[in-house]
Formats: sequence, structure tokens, C-alpha cells
Amino acid sequence: MLETPGMAAKEKEEAAAAAELAELLSPAAGQAAREGAAEAALALSGDAAGRRLLVGQPAAMAALLELAAGPSPPAARHALGCLVNLSAEPAAREPLLAALPALLGLLPGGPACGVLANLCRERGAARRVLRGLREGGPGLEPLLQALGQPRPPSQLGPLLCNLSQLPEGRRGLLDRSRCSVQRLLPFTQYQDSVVHRRGVVGALRNCCFEYEDHEWLLSEEVDILPFLLLPLAGPEEFPEDEMERLPVDLQYLPQDKQREEEPDIRKMLLEAIMLLTATKAGRHTVREKGTYLILRELHRWEREPAVLAACEKLIQVLIGDEPGPGMENLLEVNIPEEVEQQLQSLDREEEEEQERWRREQEERGSTPRSEEPSR
Amino acid sequence: MAEAGPGGGGGTRYRGAFHPDTWEEELEAIPMFMKRCPAEIDAARQPELACLQSLLFDEEQGPAELARMYKNEGNEYFRERDYRRAVVAYTEGLKKKCEDPELNAVLHTNRGAAQFYLGNYRSALNDAVQAKKLKPTHLKAVIRGALCHMELKNFSEAIAWCEEGLRIDSKEKKLVEMRAKADKLKRAEERDARKAKVMKKKEQCQKEILLAAIKERNIKLVLEPSNEEEEVSGGLAEISLDGFHSDNATGAKVHLDADGNLNWPVLFLYPEHEQTDFIAAFHENSRFIDHLMVMFAELPPWDLERKYLPSNLELYFEDEERTEMYELNAEHTLLQVLQHERYFVKAGTPTVLAFVKRSPFSKKYFSGKKVHRL
Repeated sequence: MLETPGMAAKEKEEAAAAAELAELLSPAAGQAAREGAAEAALALSGDAAGRRLLVGQPAAMAALLELAAGPSPPAARHALGCLVNLSAEPAAREPLLAALPALLGLLPGGPACGVLANLCRERGAARRVLRGLREGGPGLEPLLQALGQPRPPSQLGPLLCNLSQLPEGRRGLLDRSRCSVQRLLPFTQYQDSVVHRRGVVGALRNCCFEYEDHEWLLSEEVDILPFLLLPLAGPEEFPEDEMERLPVDLQYLPQDKQREEEPDIRKMLLEAIMLLTATKAGRHTVREKGTYLILRELHRWEREPAVLAACEKLIQVLIGDEPGPGMENLLEVNIPEEVEQQLQSLDREEEEEQERWRREQEERGSTPRSEEPSR
Repeated sequence: MAEAGPGGGGGTRYRGAFHPDTWEEELEAIPMFMKRCPAEIDAARQPELACLQSLLFDEEQGPAELARMYKNEGNEYFRERDYRRAVVAYTEGLKKKCEDPELNAVLHTNRGAAQFYLGNYRSALNDAVQAKKLKPTHLKAVIRGALCHMELKNFSEAIAWCEEGLRIDSKEKKLVEMRAKADKLKRAEERDARKAKVMKKKEQCQKEILLAAIKERNIKLVLEPSNEEEEVSGGLAEISLDGFHSDNATGAKVHLDADGNLNWPVLFLYPEHEQTDFIAAFHENSRFIDHLMVMFAELPPWDLERKYLPSNLELYFEDEERTEMYELNAEHTLLQVLQHERYFVKAGTPTVLAFVKRSPFSKKYFSGKKVHRL
């Protein structure tokens, strides 16, 4: 973009205004001024340009953090809202992480979860946040307990999901000495917030990468499978002998039972179940609990190609033959070089197909996926 | 001091010595050497014990001290699994109304535990609730409360109490396990409710189909007066199966078979001998004569005059409203009979009367009634 003299001047003007705002945010400015400034900052953070301006003012960031934890509720609210918006900017990451203890102190409040959720999309930041939680003492426990509230903050799901992209995050969620992952399970059907639900399902899927915990996850102590299947089940009636094979939670569902509306969440649920079939014992359990019946009905109903593909893959595993010796744990199998390359090119093709489909969705006006953590 | 000689027996004994034969019992009687406290203390026979007790429970001591004494006594009884006496002791301790909330919380908790082992789950729960009020962080009280809710099958409350306890100690194993168990039982309960709902709906549906089949055939039902209220869908409200089956001792009901035919429970009455025969499932398209052939293939034991041969019988039904008798053609099917314009099925069980042809008894029976013969 060619710079014109007018633009350079405008930028200088904006930077000066931002510096003024920073001054008004500082403790010296007095409460009323700070409140007004915080509100202005929130408005400014609504677009990318404004965010960049604010991030360029370290003093402003520090002041906002202080206001967020401060005694004045309206100022705190504005400041927190502003920080949540800022946390989406990569440039804001370092300043915010520098203030990690302060942020952790604001947990399990909703906005704090939001800030940290955004930060934790990046693995390094997630690692630091986890360490901060552990060193601060309670680890994931306050977050897990916050799930028990009547209306948990909607950003809690995404935060847990982003934390679960790391093994140490998953360890925290899979702590057997506590009631840990069990607290997540009811939220696979949580209607009040798609964002929260998506985050929880993502976290559960990530947890399923820990194949040593599969037996425990599938056992009665956790019983993860029904909660993964319930959103995929519809109102279809099964004959009595088929019905009795299903897990208790999937029996005699009412006639107005709805399936999960979001295709990406359906896909994640299927992926989680697929992961659970990696071991021979896991396959046996998943098969035995009548999973195929639910998938059969899902396959009849499903329209999204990506989800259909995942469904078909899983059905193949359930009704296919057992793999040969040495292949009992599919996550541990050594794949020969050429086969690996073939599979990768197939994966690329599939991804391209899905990108095309996703772009079509966006053009049609549905909301794009947000806060999908890298795995 | 006297000495018992090596050969035993004989010798003078000092005052208050044990008798060699009963020394164990005598030792037991001395408070200091008692292994078990006697349940009742009789001041006359055990003055030392009564004395000690009055020392311990001297009212001049402060209420907290006394409460503590009672707590200890209760704990002793508890250890010996004498839960009833433990409850009594704890209750006495609570009656002292001492000012120490911690001590009272413990008294409530312990009494709750004793009540629990006596199977008094509601009382135990009350104690747990009281204890928790006095000291919200008393984990044992929370665990006890959760256990009570489990026994009372209040699984949602059990889970809530477990959550409370886990907020105090997130690693308490009993609570983690109980929570998982309560959750599982709650979900099973929810399934049972769903299943009951579905089954009820199915049953209702089948009833409606049955009633429709009966109505379709123009068969008239007479209702028994009944105290039960059953819900019936609007369209078929005028006919209800209410009291439909009340007279039928075997519980046999009219039902639709796989071919869409009705099968009825039918009662044959033989007024002359005050006997009956019951056909549990009389297919509506089968003829009376065919059933009679089977029923009277061998003559019944009460038929002393050996007259009840199928060819010798006449079948009637009684129109009670008009006290008129109608003869049936035995070669008709049940359906044809039921569709007779004056036939009313009472209590869901069609009834037919059988008489020996031209018998004196039947003449007497018919007197005063209008008889419609074939």
C-alpha cells in the first residue's frame, strides 16, 4: 500500500490519541476519567486497527490489566472486555503473558477465561498458562469446579480445549484421583452456549489421544461413550432387542430428540469415538455397546460430506475384520515410508475437498469456525 | 498375709480375698478391671461403679466438658457396635447445648453415623444437615449426608453433597467414587422413567386398537361400576375398558391375535348344577358346537344323570335389562352371537348359559321370562 503524506499524518494523529488514552487509563487519572477511558478503549478494540493501536501502548495494557482486577466494577467490566478483544492479537500475547498471575487471579471469571482461551491457542502460551496454574497451586481444579456452576462461563470450554492440546493439559483433565473429566461430559449436550459446547467436545476429543486412559474412560468410572453418542442419536425407535443393547442413556429417547446441529461438533464427536477404537479392547467395548446402531441411523440422516466420511470410516472399523497381529494398537503401528506418503497425499486431497466445502458454507453465510485449536 | 500352699486349698485367707474358684468373675466386678461396661448400673450392687459414674457426669462440670464425656461414651458404644446406646449418649451430649459448635457438629455427625447403621436414614440425614450447618467444612458430615441420600435414592442430592465435599477436599476418594456411582444410578433412573413412559404409550395405543376393533364389529359393552379412573383418548371415550376385566378371576382379557381376530374369554354357566366352564381364548370365528364337543368329550363329574351331551344341550344368553332369554344357535360363531342386537358383553367376559334340552329345570328357570327360541 503506497503511503501518502496524508496517511502518515493520520497515523501520527492516531498514535497521539492512543497515548492520550493511555494516560487517561493510568492510576493518576482518577476514577471517573479511568472509567470513561476504559469504555473508550473497549470501543476502540472493536476493530483490528484499534487493537493494534492499543497494543502499541504498553502503558495502556498495564493500566487495563490493573483496572480489570480493580475495585470499580464498571471499569473492570470495560477493561476485561477490551482485554478479551486484545488477546486475539498475536502482538498482545507477550504483554498479557507477562501479567499472567494477575489474569490467573481473575479465574474462573468469564472474561478471564476468554483472554486465556485466546492466548492458549498458541502452544507455547498454553504451556506457560498451565505452568502458572500448577505453580499457583490448584491447577485445573478451580476451572473444573466452575463447570459445576448453574451457568458456567461460555469461554471455559474453549479454554479447556486449548489447554488440552498439550499432554500436561490432558493429564490435568484425566486426573483419576479427582472428579475431573467426568465434569465435562454433561456439556456435550449443553444448549445454552455453542462456544462452550464446542470447546468441551474439543477437549474430550483431545483427551482421547491418551490411549493408556481409554480403558478408564470407557469404564463405569467415567463412561465417556454415551456422552459422545447422545448428541449423535436421533429420535428413531429401535426394536426392543436392539434397544436393550444400547447404553442406558441412549435407551427410549423421546420422540423430539434432536441431533447436534453443528457439523464440526458432530465430526469431533466421531473423531473422539474413532480414537477410542485404536486399541483392540477399546474396539471391543465400543462395538459391544451398540455404537453401530447409532451410527447407522446417523448415516441415514447426515448430509455434510466431511461428517459422512468420518461416520463411514468409523462404521468400517466397527464392522470390519480385526487387524492382524502387531497392529492391535493403531496409534502405535509403524507405517512403511511409501504407504505413509500415499496416505499423506490422500489426506491432502481430503483437506482440499473440505476447504472447498467450508468456503461454500461461508459464502452461503453460515458462521465460520472459530477457536479451533491446532492439534 | 496368707499364702496359698503349693498344694492349693486350705490355709487362711485374708479379708477381701478372691475365692479361687470364682476369682475371674470377682475380678470382673471391680471397675478398674472391667473389660466391658455393664449396660445398667445398679447402685446397690455396684456402688463403686455408680460412684465413678456420678463423678464423671457431675453436673457441676461445664456443659462442654459433659458433652465431651457423652461424646466419648457414645464413641465407646459405637466401637462396640451398640448403635442404639451410642445414639442415646450423643443425644445426651447434644442436650447439654454447649457453646462449642465444633463439638456439637461432631456429636451430630457421630449420631448420624449411628443412626445410619441402624437403618434410620432420614434421622441420619437430619443429623448430617445439622452438623453441616454448624461446621460447613466438616467433611465427615458431608460424606454421611451423601451416603444417606444414596440410601434414600435421592441421587441428585447425593451428587450435590458429593460436589460440596469435593470443594472441601477435591481428592477425597469416597466422594469421587460415590459421585460416579450416584451419577450412574441417576441416569439409570432417568432411563426407567423414559421406558415407563414409552411402554405406557404403547399400552394405550394397543387398548385403542382393541376398542376400535370391538366397536367396528358393533359389539356392545356394559361397564362395571368401578372406582378406578383410566385415561382413554377422546374418540373412544364412550367405551372404556374401565372395569372391563374385574370379574375375570384368571385375568384373561379379550385380545387381538396376529391375524386381526378377536379372542374372548367366555364363561359357560350351568345353572342346574351351579357349575361353570371357562374358555380363556375363544376365537371369534369358532363355533359353539365345536367347543362343546371338546368340553363335553368326557361327561363332567357333576353330571350324575349323564345328560350333558353336546347334542343334548341348549345354549342361551340372558338379556338382563328386559329379563328375556334368547336361544343361541350352537352352530353359530362367537362373533355372530356377540353381534346379536340384544347381546351385551358384561365385564369383558361374554357369558352363555347351558341347559339340558326340555329339562324340568330349564322350564322352571324360564318361567316368568320371555324366551326367544330359534
